Amino acid sequence: MQGLASYITGRLLLAPVVLLVISFATFALGRYAPGDYVEIQAGTRARPETIERIRHERGLDDPVYEQYGRYAWRALHGDFGESKRYRGVAVEDVIFPRLWVTVQYNAIALILTFGIGIPIGTWAATKRGTWLDPLAIGTFLLFASVPVVVSVPALQWLFAVKLGWLPTSGWRVHEFFGVELGIFSRQIILPMLILTLPGVAGVARYMRGQVLEVLDQDYVRTARAKGLRGDVVVSRHVVRNALLPIATILGFELAGLLAGSIFVETLLGIPGIGLYAFESIGSRDYDSIMAIVLMGSAAFIAANLLVDIAYGFIDPRIRLPGAVRP
Amino acid sequence: METRRLVLVLTGIAVVLIVVIGGLSLALLAGGEDSGGSGGGNQQPDGSPLPERLEGELRLFGPDPITLDPACAADAGSAEYIVEIFSGLVSFDRDLKLVPDVASSWDVSDDGKTYTFHLRPNVLFHDRSRRVTAGDFKFSMERSLDPDTQSTVGDVYLDDIAGAREFADGKADEVSGIKVIDEDTLELDISQPSSVFVEKLSYPTAYVVDRNEVKGSTCFEGGNWTLKPNGTGPFRLKEWVLGQRLELEPNSQYYLDPKPALSRVTYVLSGGSPLVMYENDEIDITGVGINDIESVRDPNNPLNKEYSETPSLDVFYIGFNAQQAPFDDPKVRQALNMAVDRDFLANDLLAELVLPANGVLPPGMPGYNEGLDGLPFDPDRARQLLDEAGGPEILTDVKLLASGQGASPSQVLEAVVAMWQDNLGVTVTVEQEDFGLFLRDIDQGTFQIFSLGWVADYPDPQNFLDIKFHSQSGNNETKYASSRVDSLLDQARTEKDEQKRLDLYRQAEETIVQDSPWIPLYHGKASVLTKPYVKGYFIPPFVINNLRYVSITE
Repeated sequence: MQGLASYITGRLLLAPVVLLVISFATFALGRYAPGDYVEIQAGTRARPETIERIRHERGLDDPVYEQYGRYAWRALHGDFGESKRYRGVAVEDVIFPRLWVTVQYNAIALILTFGIGIPIGTWAATKRGTWLDPLAIGTFLLFASVPVVVSVPALQWLFAVKLGWLPTSGWRVHEFFGVELGIFSRQIILPMLILTLPGVAGVARYMRGQVLEVLDQDYVRTARAKGLRGDVVVSRHVVRNALLPIATILGFELAGLLAGSIFVETLLGIPGIGLYAFESIGSRDYDSIMAIVLMGSAAFIAANLLVDIAYGFIDPRIRLPGAVRP
Repeated sequence: METRRLVLVLTGIAVVLIVVIGGLSLALLAGGEDSGGSGGGNQQPDGSPLPERLEGELRLFGPDPITLDPACAADAGSAEYIVEIFSGLVSFDRDLKLVPDVASSWDVSDDGKTYTFHLRPNVLFHDRSRRVTAGDFKFSMERSLDPDTQSTVGDVYLDDIAGAREFADGKADEVSGIKVIDEDTLELDISQPSSVFVEKLSYPTAYVVDRNEVKGSTCFEGGNWTLKPNGTGPFRLKEWVLGQRLELEPNSQYYLDPKPALSRVTYVLSGGSPLVMYENDEIDITGVGINDIESVRDPNNPLNKEYSETPSLDVFYIGFNAQQAPFDDPKVRQALNMAVDRDFLANDLLAELVLPANGVLPPGMPGYNEGLDGLPFDPDRARQLLDEAGGPEILTDVKLLASGQGASPSQVLEAVVAMWQDNLGVTVTVEQEDFGLFLRDIDQGTFQIFSLGWVADYPDPQNFLDIKFHSQSGNNETKYASSRVDSLLDQARTEKDEQKRLDLYRQAEETIVQDSPWIPLYHGKASVLTKPYVKGYFIPPFVINNLRYVSITE
């Protein structure tokens, strides 16, 4: 266990460094983009002198590293600044309700992606050599290769306009024991389709590869030779061993989903963090952009760390780096 | 051991899957009942995030305001909410007549420089903690002007007041021209007589706020109080769930007539297409865009009976950099102007969603000149003017600056550029810039041609002509300078006779149109659908509080 502990410690120590680099890069990018929130929100009515004065008072004309230093100092003290889209409202008060929305449907999308992808991949692998294998994988690859900006209007047209089964967009919440949940509504189905279907292809293909590899292993042949039924071999020996590497792509899938949220929320009018990120960039809402990027990065780092740790538990060979490796 | 853990994990996933898929299908089944019924009257759509619809409730679609702090509102989107929640000394009524509001009346001194406002004694803040006094107005106006408040518009609407400029520049401790005579009397001294001073007080920066709640907040910090502001307007903010909904409830102690008749106003802040929401009875009023206008205008469409249009007080235009060659030559500007077919733009391209603009002032604006010819669409004359100025060669490598993102510029600008190409043989490229960069370029004058719009703050030609074309105005982006126009505008500023004043503006507008620093393109219209049970609703041509005139009937 000592190996794992030092591994985790190392990763934990690295996390702040990664966050620092990401935060500075984001900050600098934001500040070098033309225009700033004072100018943009002032519109065409304000006197240029007044805008200039306010920019100066707010330190927007200072060198970027100075501004970053001020930001980092405040952030380290737990002050992430104020939203500019919602003028003067603390960033966390704006972000957390929206984050909750995004987390809800992304969690379901993640579960669905793996829940569908793993059986499909396994099934396709066992049908290797028949037409069923390429059909199954190909179908999902088709979904994966259609960009969201195409699939959203197409699905909206089909399900909302043509068939009239689903609302075009929006977000509806129901209250369960005082918690507002939006995942039990008809509005959730379109985003689920749009986020899940492309992801399934990746998981299924990866799973298929793993299963094929395991199917060639000696112990599988042994199990078959001992007369075990085919489905028992697959479920007990093959899938279990093929599942291990799947855990590693969990983190990447998560990042992919969050990136997809920006498009999905913008196109479907879901009041989540992705839509807010989009609005924040347009209005040069620096504090919000920073908070969102930092939170996203931290979540990504944490997810990968958790995957690594879980991996250590699932696969004993990794738990003790000094131990025998086959 | 390992097997058991794995089985446990897989079982867990399976259970979650079943719950989710089950929940989804249940929701689908339950929702299926109302999906067909778009004519379901006031029936609540299943699973709406909105609380149950009250009797007499109005539902609107609207984006979140950027701010509800009256001192900071620089955009019409924010002002629309602020005028319902807060109020000031004066306002415009539904006939667009300037009327006393928190003030019951005002007197003007003979020299036109001292205004005395008499406040109503019965105006309470929403929390009923106390009445509004003259001291509250002094506090609120000084807060808007205070450089520490960092308002970009505070000094735009209040700078007529004596001492306002010094205070806004941090050179004085108070605004000398705002004087509290007693609790009920406020005196405002202005540095020189102005025909529009009182009208400018109808803008939110002159509204009264509760000093106990705004404390040290600025336009960028400490704005949490705006989530539950204590105003004085016809409605009070009940709840604002950012990005989801904003609810207003009537102020039962409102002091003007008519008093609000609606039991609640809910703004739905998120979720897709407003037209679809309107058809599903989720909102009661919606705008209609160019993609749907044809079908809504069709008399066979049931929606047609709910459709109406109102002109807005605005103008969309193309502006030239009048200080820079070749656009410093009026002939070049006139040539480009006369090569543009406005009637085609407004009536064909934009399907009559807008009105072609002959001049600067929109119809409905006092001083609007119906007989103004403007520069007619005349390609031959345009070519001739351009040849006189030096021919098409002087217009090489010309860029038209527009704000926007995306692959292709607006249809209108594409059409204008095509008209210049066809009628003058001049190639102009449209360069789109992100709004921030665009504004900076316009401010600094680093452009050749640009396109922009202007919306009225108050119905007075001064708000268009003086602000946009006086050589000393900070908002004169074209840097157009005409001594004749300046002197007409200067005279109009102090002219007390209304007819003479409007006549001065009329002359100024005629000169401006001939000199052509702008190509006025069109005036907007509000094209809306309103449910038949909504009574008294109207789209004002500029921002005024209008919800207190609305009621719901069955």
